[in-house]
Amino acid sequence: MTPRDRLFSAARDPVWAAALAVLTALAISFVVVLASGKNAALGLAYLFEGAFGGPGPLGETAVKSGVLILTGLSVAVAFTVGLFNIGGEGQLIWGALAAAVAGRALDLPAPLLVPAALIAAAVAGAAWGLIPGVLKMYRGVHEVISTILLNWIAIHLVHGWLVAGPLAARGSGSSVSMAGTDPIRAAAWLPRPIPGSRLDLGLPVALACAAAVWFLLTRMWLGFEWRAVGAGAGAAQASGIATRLRVCQAMALSGALSGLAGGLLVLGTEHRYPGVFRTGYGFDGIAVALIGGATAPGVVAAGFVFGAVRAGATRLQLVGIHPSFAELIQGIAVLLVAAPRLFAPLLIRLRALSRAPGAPP
Amino acid sequence: MSAALSGVLEFAPPLVLAALGGVLSERAGVVNIGLEGMMRFGAFAAAVGAFFTGSPWLGLACGALAGAAAAAAHALLSLRYRADQVVSGIALNLVALGLVTFLLEATFGSSGVSPPVPALPRDASGRTALAWVAVALPILLHLVFARTPLGLRIRATGENPHAAATAGVRVLRLRAGCVLGSGLLAGLGGAALSVGILGQFDARMPAGQGFMALAAMVFGRWTPLGAAAAAFFFAAADAFQRQLSFSVHAADLRLQGIFLALPYALTLLLLTAGAGRIRAPAADGVPYDPEAR
Repeated sequence: MTPRDRLFSAARDPVWAAALAVLTALAISFVVVLASGKNAALGLAYLFEGAFGGPGPLGETAVKSGVLILTGLSVAVAFTVGLFNIGGEGQLIWGALAAAVAGRALDLPAPLLVPAALIAAAVAGAAWGLIPGVLKMYRGVHEVISTILLNWIAIHLVHGWLVAGPLAARGSGSSVSMAGTDPIRAAAWLPRPIPGSRLDLGLPVALACAAAVWFLLTRMWLGFEWRAVGAGAGAAQASGIATRLRVCQAMALSGALSGLAGGLLVLGTEHRYPGVFRTGYGFDGIAVALIGGATAPGVVAAGFVFGAVRAGATRLQLVGIHPSFAELIQGIAVLLVAAPRLFAPLLIRLRALSRAPGAPP
Repeated sequence: MSAALSGVLEFAPPLVLAALGGVLSERAGVVNIGLEGMMRFGAFAAAVGAFFTGSPWLGLACGALAGAAAAAAHALLSLRYRADQVVSGIALNLVALGLVTFLLEATFGSSGVSPPVPALPRDASGRTALAWVAVALPILLHLVFARTPLGLRIRATGENPHAAATAGVRVLRLRAGCVLGSGLLAGLGGAALSVGILGQFDARMPAGQGFMALAAMVFGRWTPLGAAAAAFFFAAADAFQRQLSFSVHAADLRLQGIFLALPYALTLLLLTAGAGRIRAPAADGVPYDPEAR
């Protein structure tokens, strides 16, 4: 059994299971709020207002959804060849740094500079994502361990050294916490077409990537070979597929998608690489991919749901709840989809009900 | 020199305890990526316990129990419901991140730090009792693994659970016990951060120490003595990096990141160079199905 099968085969009805998991997670989280004596109803209202209440909140949801869709796709692509890429955070960091450097150093007009900086981000992420693929295929190093190690290598090298030293903004002083790169050129900023909303090119880029990944995985020969490797590397090898090459290709694409997410954050939101840049989007991509069943359409749907939760959670501060509450909701949802057997009896009953309305169960 | 040594003995206990927790769980065949989350629950519960009881020792106990409670969720999901162990651990880390921040605000009204709590007493040379625990416990766990029937059963369960079951080992029960023990140790490691080192809880705890413990476990080839030695070595790199941060030279500050990355880079290099010779327990991460053959 591949990791992919082990994760998703038990949930015969992944859409129901995912929807149920998200709703249950929301319910459990707000029972926690209720139990702490805070105003849960008001909190829920703020959550929805922060996610959907007007062009401003909708723009926030769109920006966050775009990033989450990309990191979710990153994890899903690695799943296709049977690898569990936990290294999205590190790949995102290198992508963000590459976009910040390219957006500063290249003197190009906007229509060229934005794509150039995004390509730089994707290439940097791909390079960092390729390492665990190569180590797994040629040295037998398990990717779960190597990607965790590579995350922390990236975090410390970039935050503790590059952004504090060689790439630090001039005159930023020696204080590590205040460090950061110089701002990028205004031409590298992602355009914001709607006044009053932070909606930028990020979401369209993410959706285009999702469509491309969907086409690659389900309609192209290369995608078929990747899926064959994921289903059984031995059998794929025996039928003439270059297994090692396919795994490395998929890991490079996986890294590129996470790197692109970092590029969007720098060009769209930060406009430089800040001194400390711990967004958690790389880890959240794992949640998005798992809830989305590791398919491109599922990742888009899950990305929108968690983008809305993340955007709405910033308003929870009004009732005294820290925005990291979004992580709690995601974590519980993942715990619930991770154990499909937990839901199986309920799902069987639901399916029976939906097939024969009115019939006794 | 003695300053460096006391720095190591100061920062090693959280890493050593959590790394031993990882060894205990994985030698029994259950991957534990959730060490970071278990440490976080432990660090917070220890601060709360010490704050409200006034006793750092009761705080330590609270931390250990909170770690074990988090581990119980991991055991339930990955053993009873056969969830993927990596996923379950990642989810546990996410829950710990959100829930502890929420509880910190609900308990102390701050999302940054808890108020100062009673810290563990220190002896004449400034060491807490945990420094000696960090030295003694790896030896104890080594003896359990190498010399006792229980240790043999644990190792057999991690290498070949079906063979162990044939020999009369109750695989799932033993694995559950090892995961709970792992959470107990990781929770104690988290408590060592809050009531041991800092004397309060910080919302950023454990700041990656759980993952560094995981690296120490791998670097130590999944053995108690190896993992503890790696943890001491990593703590030394950490202590050195902290010394640099007091330095007045900006150039030294920039080296901090390189020293922080060093433990992870060395572990990766070791894995790359020693491919084939360094391996996890054979059944590590494979759900146990009693009916499968």
